[in-house]
Amino acid sequence: MKFRDWIKTITFYEILLGMKETIKHLVHYKPITLQYPHEKKPLAENYRGMLALLRYDDGTEKCVGCDLCEAACPSRVIRVISTEVPGEPTKRYAKEYYMDMTRCLFCGLCVQACPVDALGMTREYEWAVYDKRKLHLNKEQLLAIGDRAFPVREKQLEFQHPNVAYFNVSFKDIPEKAN
Amino acid sequence: MPQYEKILLKNMEQPGYSGSLQDYERTGGYQALRKVLKGISPADVTDIVKNSGLRGRGGAGFPTGVKWSFVPKDHPGPKYLCCNADESEPGTFKDRQLMERDPHQLLEGMVLTCYAIGAQTGYIYIRGEFRLGATILERAIEEAKQAGYIGQNVLGSGLTANIYVHAGAGAYICGEETALLESLEGKRGMPRFKPPFPATHGLYQQPTVVNNVETLANIPHIVTRGAEWFASIGAPPRSTGTRIFCLSGHVKWPGNYEVPMGITFRELIFENGGGMRSDSKKLKGIIPGGASAAFFTEEHLDVKLDFESVAQAGSMLGSGGVTVMEEGTSMVWAAMRLMEFFYHESCGKCTPCREGSSWLLQTLQRIWARRGRAEDLDMLLDLCKNIEGRTICAFGDAEVAPVVSTLRYWRNEYEELIREAEVTRPAKGEIPVFTH
Amino acid sequence: MANQESDKFVTITVDGITARVPPGTLVIEAARQIGVMIPHFCYHPKLAPDANCRMCLVEIEKIPKLQTSCSTPVAEGMVVKSSVPNVEEARKSVLEFILANHPLDCPVCDQGGRCDLQDFSHEYTPTTGRFKELKRIFPKEYFSPLIETQMNRCIQCLRCVRYCDQVMDVQALAPSGRGTMTEIKHFSIHELDCEFCGGCVQICPVGAITSRLSMYDFRPWMLKRADTICTYCGDGCQITIQTKDNELIEVNSTHGAGRNNGDLCPRGYFGYHASVHADRLNHPLIRQQDGTYAEVTWEDALELIAERFSQIKLAHGADAFGGLITSRCTNEELYLFQKFMRVVLGTNRIDSSARYGHINGIQALRRVQGTHRWTVTYEDIVAADTLLLVGTNITETNPITGLKVKEAVKKQGAALITIESLLPIRGTISNITTLASHHVPVHPDYFGLAVLGLIKSVLEQGLATASLSERAPTFVQSIRSAVGKVPWETVERHLGLGRDTFVEAARTFSQAKRVIILAGQGVLRAPQGSDVVTNLLDLLILTGHHGRPGCGLGTLAEENNDQGAVEMGAVAEYLPGPSELGDQTARKNLSKIWGDEIPQSPGATLMDMLEEARTGRLKAMFIVGENPVATLPPQAKVEESLDGLEFLVCQELFLTETAKRAHVVLPACSYAEKDGTFTNTEGCVQSVRRAMEPIGESRPDWEVFSALSLLMGNPIEYGEAKEIFKEIRSAISGYGLLGPSATPPRIKDEVVDRYLQEGFKTDVEVRYAFEQENTQPDEMLTLASVQSLFHSGKFSTRAKGLLQIQASGFLNVNPVDATRLGLADGDPVRLSNTRGEATTKVKLLDRVPVGVAFFPEHFDQNIRGLFSLETDPQTRVPYFKLTRVRVDRMQEEIPGKG
Repeated sequence: MKFRDWIKTITFYEILLGMKETIKHLVHYKPITLQYPHEKKPLAENYRGMLALLRYDDGTEKCVGCDLCEAACPSRVIRVISTEVPGEPTKRYAKEYYMDMTRCLFCGLCVQACPVDALGMTREYEWAVYDKRKLHLNKEQLLAIGDRAFPVREKQLEFQHPNVAYFNVSFKDIPEKAN
Repeated sequence: MPQYEKILLKNMEQPGYSGSLQDYERTGGYQALRKVLKGISPADVTDIVKNSGLRGRGGAGFPTGVKWSFVPKDHPGPKYLCCNADESEPGTFKDRQLMERDPHQLLEGMVLTCYAIGAQTGYIYIRGEFRLGATILERAIEEAKQAGYIGQNVLGSGLTANIYVHAGAGAYICGEETALLESLEGKRGMPRFKPPFPATHGLYQQPTVVNNVETLANIPHIVTRGAEWFASIGAPPRSTGTRIFCLSGHVKWPGNYEVPMGITFRELIFENGGGMRSDSKKLKGIIPGGASAAFFTEEHLDVKLDFESVAQAGSMLGSGGVTVMEEGTSMVWAAMRLMEFFYHESCGKCTPCREGSSWLLQTLQRIWARRGRAEDLDMLLDLCKNIEGRTICAFGDAEVAPVVSTLRYWRNEYEELIREAEVTRPAKGEIPVFTH
Repeated sequence: MANQESDKFVTITVDGITARVPPGTLVIEAARQIGVMIPHFCYHPKLAPDANCRMCLVEIEKIPKLQTSCSTPVAEGMVVKSSVPNVEEARKSVLEFILANHPLDCPVCDQGGRCDLQDFSHEYTPTTGRFKELKRIFPKEYFSPLIETQMNRCIQCLRCVRYCDQVMDVQALAPSGRGTMTEIKHFSIHELDCEFCGGCVQICPVGAITSRLSMYDFRPWMLKRADTICTYCGDGCQITIQTKDNELIEVNSTHGAGRNNGDLCPRGYFGYHASVHADRLNHPLIRQQDGTYAEVTWEDALELIAERFSQIKLAHGADAFGGLITSRCTNEELYLFQKFMRVVLGTNRIDSSARYGHINGIQALRRVQGTHRWTVTYEDIVAADTLLLVGTNITETNPITGLKVKEAVKKQGAALITIESLLPIRGTISNITTLASHHVPVHPDYFGLAVLGLIKSVLEQGLATASLSERAPTFVQSIRSAVGKVPWETVERHLGLGRDTFVEAARTFSQAKRVIILAGQGVLRAPQGSDVVTNLLDLLILTGHHGRPGCGLGTLAEENNDQGAVEMGAVAEYLPGPSELGDQTARKNLSKIWGDEIPQSPGATLMDMLEEARTGRLKAMFIVGENPVATLPPQAKVEESLDGLEFLVCQELFLTETAKRAHVVLPACSYAEKDGTFTNTEGCVQSVRRAMEPIGESRPDWEVFSALSLLMGNPIEYGEAKEIFKEIRSAISGYGLLGPSATPPRIKDEVVDRYLQEGFKTDVEVRYAFEQENTQPDEMLTLASVQSLFHSGKFSTRAKGLLQIQASGFLNVNPVDATRLGLADGDPVRLSNTRGEATTKVKLLDRVPVGVAFFPEHFDQNIRGLFSLETDPQTRVPYFKLTRVRVDRMQEEIPGKG
């Protein structure tokens, strides 16, 4: 035993063992630093990037203005102002929708909370700006992000589910009250 | 065909009997009333009925005399008698005959009951569709009033007994006694929760007795001929007297048969009813007591037709509507048809019955339309368990009886339909149409 | 003693916990007391149990089937189990059944977050359902402007239907259809037309009935709540104002909270938008030479006021000032206003809107029984066995006091005697006279005569209490001789009702054990108002009810703090207390607290001040929130008076007709933006809490008074409203019985004795005299300016919710009169009399008495010119609510009216 240890000491075995990785990289040199923005890193399948609002295939917004994303958000990014769709009584939608992206954690809770899959996380991440106010996004901006990030849209169903009776479906055939 | 002594149908089966006051008086009508007014106290009348062992003929079979004795004697306000003539149970048609053919028998029974319980007003809550019955009863009331049997100072005795006919508006649930009272008060016909029972808080929150037509029609005979006579008929001590059974379905001679209680189904169906419609087909199922009773099979043919025996065998004598089904009848279809009735008639008050009836019906319709799933049968049983006993009135128990009993005896028919569904499983997204 | 105790209580065990509860308690309530919450939908403490949802099933030992705990009363030794497996199983199944047809649209449902169904589902059911069939869908037939129904969400618990019937007595809702297709509906296919009390919205356990005013505006967890007091009438209902980001979202009231016990009326429930109307003043305004207003800073405005006030005081003395304040202000503000006027400006010339009628009742109460408040409470009304309502359409003027009367009649079986002009005919809104056991239909001019008839009948039938004849023989004698001078023929000629009408009512009244009289505005705001209230007190004394527990007389206040205005001394004749202006001990006490002298000069009422302003004696006025220009008829010449002033300061929410004549207008806060207290008609002092930040630069009134006093060199400073309240408590002995239940004052026996021996003599002849009018029957109608259920003063006409229910005034006439005059519903008419003419539209209403037309006072700009003005010689109350007019159908349409 002792002899073997002595051999190891004089041949610098441990040091060589420690240098093994270094030497390996010395021989097979490959740069690790990405030359961003010329090069871009491949993103993970479930990458959580910029948030976006989505539409159905016929262009209507999916969002029903239920405020659940606002409730789910741990850092108070979202603010929804919802109301009835003009001309379609009892149908709800988000009149205004704001996201203050400076505070967003990209935790994805809002996406999970959404009952109609109106929110999505895109793979966009290049959102550095000089003016923080530009990160205060409104509904139109969020929809635009969704439009470019999700070109394939879901088809709108008259019933979201056969067992959900008239879920946020307006009663178009009934005229609004004449004032 | 065996002959039994008839009590209630005796008069009307005489040739030429018109049901008029003269005819009724000629056959000894209103003698019971005269007898009572001559010196039998109300308490004694109640005792006679109690001793006779007469039990309610409407469905629940509660002893009539006992029910009367629950009415407080010293109540300061008015008391009421309600005759439940809202006969809407599918397969039951006895009260209609009693009212249309021999109205005075019922009226005499009502006056006697009014006397016994101390009510001055009696209402006949008659099913809305019985236009003829209502007309005949109104005419009979008018006749009896002229003759002094009804109204102020009956036969000069000082007894007041006013009787009115009130027609329902087509709700099965108004045959339930508290819903009947609500409807009579002018409200929406929905059952009240009990207690308090109608005997203390009934019509307009006053003591009220609610009795079936057949029950009340028995009273004059009991009074005239005595409690012992009545108690000796039928299957004493618990089920006394005769009973009118409404035989219908796949039998040769459907109709009302007044027989003493305690004969067997075999006697009723094969001796009185003449047997199955086509001799080549065997009997498959029996509904022993109106649509709300559980099904019987061929094995039960020797069950006796009295309250206890039928209850022991797992069903109830109910309103006496015996429906016979022959071989080849689909029991799933039968259950579905009955469920359609119950779905349509559920008043919507209690959650389990209201939602359960539509759920059961839709599931049965789906199974019948060959869209059933394997797990449906257990779910049906589970739903039935959740409905039964969890509602205010007995409607909840009634609506699950056909489903539970057909599932008990003919589960294989359900399974067959579901197997067919496996083969012809529809394309995804296609949903059977259900119309309310 | 111990035995008695055990008789009164029964022992019950729920889930192993034993408690003693009174017999008759329902198991669900007993469990709640023990701390076991049994889930339920259809049960509500206010409603009779219905046991339809089957959610509250529990196992009770010795009973084979599960029982509904909401309908089972406790019994001695009962053992209840609410968390055993078969009970849990039953709950699960009931929820499964309910959820089967529920649309599960929680994300878009306004109830989401405070929904019973949601909560119980989370607690008791699995997340996936077994229901694979199609859900039932109700076709929608109409949309309502205020109360929206979404029947797919309905769980058919019928709470709304039962509330509408049992509590409100409106019966606007009913279940229609059968089984699963049971739908809660109005009786026909049009939007709801009812009292709009919002009760159905509040009581719905799910989101089937929601308020459209706040629809989709909020999620419950975002709301900030403040319990405060409604400002629309004298009932003093506690409301919870809910705000989101300083924006008014909705108003509701919790069951068990406040004097109203969670019940509200349309004004309370839908009227909250008035205080955030776009016309609210945001800045102080100073009138320029050309008559326009310039927005200025508070400093500029206050300095100008201080300067001008000082100049005027120097030049003309303290009595050149007059102050007028609205009773919608808090007690603190009313107190501080009178203190400011008395100490800083040095004048007693103060008045408030209590002058429009409430003072009549208070003066009578003070005179006869020495109190200024009711001696009874709302609880006493509910417990009373006979109620006498005189001249009050209580369901429209004081809806919540009306609910107490309804509860007494409908639930407790009390007898109700109404002396009212309304006919007992049901309509879309409830009518208290339909509940009356004895209704005396009286022309609005003759309430006093009907009261006289009742007293006459009591005396003639010998129903007066025997002991009184010994105690005060002259009192009984002189009343007897006074009413004897008015023969039954006279009564019959004027009322159309003879001796017989009163016999039964008088007997019922005299034989009752607990009697309460409520006098409304038909009495208080009509000539001889104070006398009629005194006569009603005489009636109580005569029948021996006066002073008995649970008996008494209440006067119904119109404005939320009419009572407080008098108590705070913001009226001409009283110091805080109220004590008479000449009461030396009170003066001494107050000057000690204030550290200043109280002016010696006499006070001046509103009408006197206006008169003095016209003659030039009064140089400056400080008007806070009151709008005499739009309230008094033109005959009062208010414009002329105000225009003649050297300096007029108005402190207002809006630029009203009066404010438009001011030199300086200061923006004030509405009730939703300030702290303080209100005293309701019953005498209960309740806290008002700030629900939102002041709008614009508006400030609470008391801060303005305080700041002005500083600038005028006589500082009265407070840090917050509570400090003022503290001072009020020290200034008024026995004040400040804050709390959920009012402790009513006791009758002062020495005052009653003095009244019975001497006091009554001064005017007994006058009070019971009846001057026969020789009016010839003619084509004219009596026009009465009345309050509508849907509005309060002019303030509520800025609430968008209420405007949707009632947007303008109509002339309500009886169909009989309409036929006589050839009028149809909606016809334009011209009203005319010697004072002028006006145009409006006709609306037929069955309950309006024949020969009378009602017009809501909230929309009376157009017709005010027709009314005459009469001022009470004693109480100086201006009467201008009744007149005679000629009604003609107009051929042409009224331009500009849709």
